[in-house]
Amino acid sequence: MRASIVIGVALLLMSSCTQAKEPKTRDRQVPHPVALPDLSRLEGSVQIQLRERYAALTTKQNEPGTPAVDLADAYGEMGTLFLAAEILDPAEAALLNAQTLAPRQMRWPYYLGHLYRTKGDIGSAATAFERALTLSPNDVATMTWLGEAALDRGRTEVAEGLFTKALTIESRSAAAHYGLGRAQLADRNYAPAARHLEEALALDGKASVVHYPLAMAYRGLGDARRAEGHLQQRGDQRIRKDPLLKALDDLLHSALTYEKNADDAGSRGEWTAAVEYLEKAVTLAPTRASPHHKLGTALFYLGDRRGAVDEFTEALRLSPSLAVAHYALGVIHLDAKEYPQAIASFSAAIRSDPAYVDARVGLADALRRSGQLKASVSEYERILKIDPGSSRARVGYEAALSELKRMRTESPR
Amino acid sequence: MRNAARPAGVFCILTFAFCITCLLAASCSGRPAPTAVEGPWFTDQAHESGLDFVHFNGMTGDFSFPEVMPPGVALLDYDDDGDLDVFVAQGQMLGERPPGDALQRPPSPLISRLYRNGLEVRANGTRTLRFTDVTTASRLLVRGYAMGAATGDFNNDGCVDLYVTNLERSQLFRNNCDGTFNDVTSETRTEDRAWSVSAAFVDYDRDGWLDLFVGNYVHYDVKEEKPCLHSIGSLRDYCPPSVFRPQPGRLYHNNRDGTFSDVTAAAGMAREFGPALGVSTADFNGDGWIDVYVANDGAPNHLWINRHDGTFTNTALLAGVALGADGEAKGSMGVDAGDFDHDGDEDLFITELAREGHNLYVNDGSGVFEERGAAAGIRLPSLPYTGFGAAWLDVDNDGWLDILTVNGAVRHTADALTRKETFSLQQPKQLFRNDGNGRFVDVTGQAGAVLKVPDVSRGAAFGDIDNDGDTDVVVANDSGPIRLLMNHIGSRKHWIGLRVVGRNRRDIVGARVGIVRPSGPAVWRRARADGSYGSANDPRVLVGLGDMAGIDKVRVEWPDGRAEEWTGVPVDRYTTLKEGTGQ
Repeated sequence: MRASIVIGVALLLMSSCTQAKEPKTRDRQVPHPVALPDLSRLEGSVQIQLRERYAALTTKQNEPGTPAVDLADAYGEMGTLFLAAEILDPAEAALLNAQTLAPRQMRWPYYLGHLYRTKGDIGSAATAFERALTLSPNDVATMTWLGEAALDRGRTEVAEGLFTKALTIESRSAAAHYGLGRAQLADRNYAPAARHLEEALALDGKASVVHYPLAMAYRGLGDARRAEGHLQQRGDQRIRKDPLLKALDDLLHSALTYEKNADDAGSRGEWTAAVEYLEKAVTLAPTRASPHHKLGTALFYLGDRRGAVDEFTEALRLSPSLAVAHYALGVIHLDAKEYPQAIASFSAAIRSDPAYVDARVGLADALRRSGQLKASVSEYERILKIDPGSSRARVGYEAALSELKRMRTESPR
Repeated sequence: MRNAARPAGVFCILTFAFCITCLLAASCSGRPAPTAVEGPWFTDQAHESGLDFVHFNGMTGDFSFPEVMPPGVALLDYDDDGDLDVFVAQGQMLGERPPGDALQRPPSPLISRLYRNGLEVRANGTRTLRFTDVTTASRLLVRGYAMGAATGDFNNDGCVDLYVTNLERSQLFRNNCDGTFNDVTSETRTEDRAWSVSAAFVDYDRDGWLDLFVGNYVHYDVKEEKPCLHSIGSLRDYCPPSVFRPQPGRLYHNNRDGTFSDVTAAAGMAREFGPALGVSTADFNGDGWIDVYVANDGAPNHLWINRHDGTFTNTALLAGVALGADGEAKGSMGVDAGDFDHDGDEDLFITELAREGHNLYVNDGSGVFEERGAAAGIRLPSLPYTGFGAAWLDVDNDGWLDILTVNGAVRHTADALTRKETFSLQQPKQLFRNDGNGRFVDVTGQAGAVLKVPDVSRGAAFGDIDNDGDTDVVVANDSGPIRLLMNHIGSRKHWIGLRVVGRNRRDIVGARVGIVRPSGPAVWRRARADGSYGSANDPRVLVGLGDMAGIDKVRVEWPDGRAEEWTGVPVDRYTTLKEGTGQ
């Protein structure tokens, strides 16, 4: 109740600041000059993108009679592109100009909120999100980001109010359940915390970040077994992003960005999307081995074995010592029972990275399955010295010993 | 209670809207007003006192990873004259590069340095600090690219020894009790060729001899380093630790004969390891045995709970100290343990990367923790900064432990890289004042301009350098001058200073000291030199008493489980409590 009053009055105060009408013509002052920084060391495709966007902005600026809202869009799009590239100073200037020119457009304060979050300036981020929420009062995404800012500030009551309101608008918002669960956890209300975090997980099962606070909630409830279970499942896959934030992630025409987006898609098991990102990355940076290796992995998961082998081979042509690509080929050969090729690939991976435990396990498995039991036992023993907790090595080791024993028992007959 | 609360309610009655605005802006929260003090709380007296050290990191514009990690600093009374001397770690050129390739002119001589404190205290209480470089005379010859230091009297001869962590080969120096040191790394079998930053001397088996835990970082070879790029292209920057393999730490058991044995595997510490940067030892679960906390960079932290049989078990995950509140592995760097809430157990403070927020893990007394950084008001102000050295210290001697962090980024912003800057990592320091109610206030702005000076700060050592009864700070800056932050407010309140020593005059780090006061709960502190980042602190216990001009008694719980009490211990001065002389 108190939280909702606080939010209500805050929004009321904010709205009084944002009732200004948008100017209709370009007869207005933009307070923040925006200049292109030195782009010479940026990825070529990003340079082109930024220059084109800047040229479009300059054209709009110089055209007499450009409607204010159009100029705002030009500044806003310039600002979001800078923001996507993490060039934050000009991004802030451009987005502030966009906000001034189009004070009723919620996108610009929304992105300003994310810019300030990136800078670690949560006070300014909260102000920007509040402004965006005033302009679009039922926007669940903005509401949850404002709730996140409240959590950062330790204001759990305000956060709970925001997340609760978000759930009244969109009861199946995983982000709002996740936020409300964490707010309850911070207040030591373990039962509702567990309930909301379970709900978040039910709505977005890939969001492995939920497991840790859920484990802490069960710990608070005295349920160590469930707590341990969730600790084991914890990860860093975040709740699915809202459309505006997703659009920001997809904005930059950059091989590295496409590769990062592919990583995110892959960790959610969205292999088709991962392939799309990686094909763009490969087109932009055909001589980099890493996107080829990742594309091979995505294709393998989609069942395209041939395509996967081609990409791993290309990755190794570009970077012959790329251990992960050797390992990946080893896995494919092992899966196809092509043991000599698997042994060769795993051995190459180990030559490149002697501490590559998975490659050593792969080699030991390939040796065992090809009947080279003594060699496989030696390899398993080596692995268990490096990593005594490797369950795969332990299982393989015991299987190899058992097989060896059986053969010794049978051989005198 | 700390101070009278500001009458926030009056404003709230006057105008409801104003009250709400204040609630949102945290300016009407009813927190006690900070102590009103004339003049800055801290000033930098490095230059005038003769601390002329300038760190050199060997940077050539290639963004080699080790450049952003050093240096640490140690406060130790190496000549046993009653005041703290300063050791600071120096860098070198990396690999085969000649000094002419460096972007910064190397200072001469390019060696880690030991400065002797020639503190003069006059009859009227005024004092003068004067440091003299005694590196050569002390025969403290540190080889290679030094990172930090740990201190402790490993051979029980009453003279503090020095362990210097290094990029390649750490060194143990035995104090000969005559102002000189000998490198005894080989003969003590403490040679660790891994890259280490923080280490701690700790008597984990309660046998009266200090063992040594060394937190190792990552495998690094300058010849193998591949460039790391910013996410938008060919802007080269410093790499994150995730591109390197973490290295297991080392636990060396003191054999009581001048040698150590590597017992890492036997102690159960070889199985789980991460890129360690911070080490703090304390009895976290209250069972009377010292445990080890390791802050790992970008990987889950470890809480090694002592099992009383020479082995440890890592309970960090379920104990709630492995990760941030949301389950994220943070870039943990500096760490310190201390009882900030006067409930008798030791809580943990850890510095993190920018955008992550520092962690405050509050102990329930059984070794189970809750991360309360946001609720305590620490997370928000720390988000823009990357913290390194840090410690619990009672800045104003009001009896409550405050926090000081020294900061400096590890990666550049894209804005800086587009401007072709090569080392724009400078950030101010921060001071968080304990309000005594579980919350902290960022009082950096009130503490003096020196805290606002942007540096690439790494190590910080905490101790009473001028013996006036408050905690001063030596800050070691990467590729910059050392700073000596002298405290001007603590000694305005009452205090008690204790040196707890064994029968052989060794500082008994790990001893738990309780100050029983005429009113309020007992205040508990641990004699410790570890914590912070790559640094070693004053092992003496300094407790602020506020306006209390006397105490009832002092209780010391020795690491071997025995306890003694002393009455009639004077305040506003240092007293040595020798094992076996109490009740």
